Amino acid sequence: MKRPSERGHAMLELAVCAAVMVSFLAGTFQFGYTFYIYNQLVTAVGNGGRYAAQRSFRAGSPWDIERGNAAIRNMVVYGDPQPVTGAAPVVPNLKPEQVEVRWVTAGQGAPKAIDVFIHGYTLNAVFHAFTFEGRPSVEFPYVGRYAPSETEP
Amino acid sequence: MRVRRVRERGFVLIAMSVSMFLLLAVIGLAFDLGRVYIARNEAQVFTDAAAMTAAARLDGTPTGLTTAREDVAHLPIRWNLGTEDFRGVVIEFSADQSHWEKDPKDTAAIRFVRVIAPDNNLEITFLRAVGGPQSLKVPAYAVATVNPVRLVE
Repeated sequence: MKRPSERGHAMLELAVCAAVMVSFLAGTFQFGYTFYIYNQLVTAVGNGGRYAAQRSFRAGSPWDIERGNAAIRNMVVYGDPQPVTGAAPVVPNLKPEQVEVRWVTAGQGAPKAIDVFIHGYTLNAVFHAFTFEGRPSVEFPYVGRYAPSETEP
Repeated sequence: MRVRRVRERGFVLIAMSVSMFLLLAVIGLAFDLGRVYIARNEAQVFTDAAAMTAAARLDGTPTGLTTAREDVAHLPIRWNLGTEDFRGVVIEFSADQSHWEKDPKDTAAIRFVRVIAPDNNLEITFLRAVGGPQSLKVPAYAVATVNPVRLVE
């Protein structure tokens, strides 16, 4: 009995196997990269929260409070409250406006705690984009100096 | 001379099985270890914030200790990609950092707080399919002191 021709089988098998393996590798990369970035965000938000908790809260005017908040956002994004021009963010494409800073007050304007979290940050993991909304987030107690009449330098 | 060919049927199945097993192990490493690193980071940020929160409430009275415990219990920081509350958190107090107590009698001498998050049990998804553990504990701890409140470890 004549055997059917097996020419082309190897190519077909390779195509099927390669498709499965490439999708597995793509998934591995996507999850690995997403977790890596999320881990960096957790670190950045934690550092920003710690910095905010110990920073002097100068509330001479709303402008001073906003300036202080900007320093906290810079700490999260650049690892430095006053970054040099053109500084690179610690997490790719993270911008200060994607960092939310909310003071928890204990009445009469004195801060009791500080909430720092990420909102609207989209991570492009090549095969899929993930958007982080409201996390990672931290809350630190405010243990710095409350200066209601001082202005930011 | 005529060379007799060895039969190769089934080879792709075996090669594919071995490759898939190795790929699953690599995916497991990327996915599960990625989550472990994030969980460890989240736990560390939580214990830092919790230790600072507790230290900020210490005022030398038993009420201060109670407030410290309550405020740590209400910290809105979560783990496992921001989805789970911390459970089994241990708060210990010390006057000298060498002898720690959960409920010290001499509250006036207390200057240090240690917060331990020991029960962060992370379920392993992929690695257990290739002989890895079912779950991993990701503990963390932090120590803070009063006046001024700061992390000391």
